[in-house]
Amino acid sequence: MSDWQEKLERLRAKRARFLQMGGPKRVARQHALGKLTARERLDLLLDPGSFVEIGLLAHHQSSHPDLKDKFTPADGVVTGYGTVDGRRVCVAAYDFTVLGGSMGEVGEGKVARLRRMALEWGVPMIWLLDSAGARIQEFTGSQFAKAGDLFREQVIMSGVVPQVAALMGHCAAGTAYIPALADFVPMVKGRSSMALGGPHLVKAAVGEDVDANELGGSRVHCEISGCADLEVEDDEACIRAVREFLSYLPSNNREKPPAIPCDDPPDRYIDDLTEIVPTNPRQVYDMRHVIRRIVDHGHFFEIKPRWARNIVVGFARLDGHPVGIVANQPLYLGGVLDVDAADKAARFIMLCDAFNVPLLFLQDIPGFLVGTKVERQGIIRHGAKMLYAVSEATVPKVTVIVRKAYGAGYFVMCGRGYEPDLLVAWPTAEISVMGPEGATNIIYRKEIAAADDPDRVWAERTAEFRKLIDPYIAAGHGYIDDVIEPGETRKVVIQGFRMAATKQVHRPWKKHGVMPV
Amino acid sequence: MIEVKAMMVGVVVRIDAGPGTAVAEDQPIVTLESMKMELPIPSPRAGRVREIRVQVGDVVQEGDVVALLEEQEE
Repeated sequence: MSDWQEKLERLRAKRARFLQMGGPKRVARQHALGKLTARERLDLLLDPGSFVEIGLLAHHQSSHPDLKDKFTPADGVVTGYGTVDGRRVCVAAYDFTVLGGSMGEVGEGKVARLRRMALEWGVPMIWLLDSAGARIQEFTGSQFAKAGDLFREQVIMSGVVPQVAALMGHCAAGTAYIPALADFVPMVKGRSSMALGGPHLVKAAVGEDVDANELGGSRVHCEISGCADLEVEDDEACIRAVREFLSYLPSNNREKPPAIPCDDPPDRYIDDLTEIVPTNPRQVYDMRHVIRRIVDHGHFFEIKPRWARNIVVGFARLDGHPVGIVANQPLYLGGVLDVDAADKAARFIMLCDAFNVPLLFLQDIPGFLVGTKVERQGIIRHGAKMLYAVSEATVPKVTVIVRKAYGAGYFVMCGRGYEPDLLVAWPTAEISVMGPEGATNIIYRKEIAAADDPDRVWAERTAEFRKLIDPYIAAGHGYIDDVIEPGETRKVVIQGFRMAATKQVHRPWKKHGVMPV
Repeated sequence: MIEVKAMMVGVVVRIDAGPGTAVAEDQPIVTLESMKMELPIPSPRAGRVREIRVQVGDVVQEGDVVALLEEQEE
């Protein structure tokens, strides 16, 4: 009996010691920085009592003189599995209070094991990142030759299980590539950053003086680089965003996304869409108001809201079923597509298709941006990504032409040629390879130049073209399925998705396509 | 202070929010005519307009600063 007592006490004491993380001083410092600890974050993320930890008692095994006397509980990363809204996830929370959350050999072994479990079990993998990157004492020197497998494994996981990388501290190098390969990357405002090389490395390598926020803070990645998906106020908001993101996706690519009961009537008529969207094509409006009127309870979870604002992408529910929305945004640049907008949309479409989330396209697209600047940026190649993604997508697709549907913009936004299961237009729809003015200028250029009254001829020719741009012509040919009242949009798209719910598409065998990047 | 920049070349047709005006994120500050549309330059953040650097009728180039915005502290 007393033998047992001693053994149990030893275990309990060990556990208590490891659960202290980097100790009270470092935990206080973490709080003073406005951050929660790794374990507090897990408490918020996972359903109460669901966490099963793996490797609490792990610690570094290095004999490096710098590390010899240092204690690294859980080796700086808390790993395990638990449930979010009753659904299993694997999660690795880097612990900044333990050697700056640096990635050591033992800790990375734990995370590697977790990644394999996520893949074998078919459950999402979540990283809560607050880490200085590789623990240099353990990796400097040519033993580095064995490193790097985590990114390859992430690629293998891509499209099989959802991957979430939340940036909750300043991360560099290794911890910056994890988000690059993840499906959802929220960043805590002002307290997180990611960069291939942190400020010290940048100073040493290229002589630039820059702080972590300026180099790779939330504003940089959520507004300029597009490397992150959502800037959130604090740790709590970050965890809420992770939970919400997961709610729209299945646990793996063999399952359907989870539906929830919905008391927003599927046939709800929307009275005020005609007040939001002007019939005058010169005037703009905020497409997000249209989206919120259509979806369940007006709730729209926007992805990358501040980057490439000329296109809007995000998740919502229709009659309780998750749906991915891709919509042009007239409020920004008139909704014209440029290189960043095409990238943003293409990646989102691929994400939805990989995880069986149906896609709703809302078109008001004047076309792709033209000119020397965008050609030099490779607009052709970037636009082609959208063509590629929308063509490859075999999930149910429904397209609503709200107003403009011009040129290749109509294609990439899932026009007829891209096999939408339902394609409808509002009476305001303008479908054409180009606008009347552009067509007149090109086709009648010589006639107008030679005319006695060029303005009159131009106006006449333009008016002739304008008559050809009419949704009833497209409907008359059977190229679009219907012209609908704006107010009917919710009812009609829900019917479309219901019809297509059992959709199966068979494609020729291939190893993989060659996506333009 | 945030520099609010024109997203593309265009002619200023309207000042929507003059100096001192409090604006929400996405609220138009200046409206341009470009690409046959009236294109607002929306406020990138919630804040207060400190200065307007253009006048109605001006032609602005992409990247030109049209206004200075004082960001609202959250």
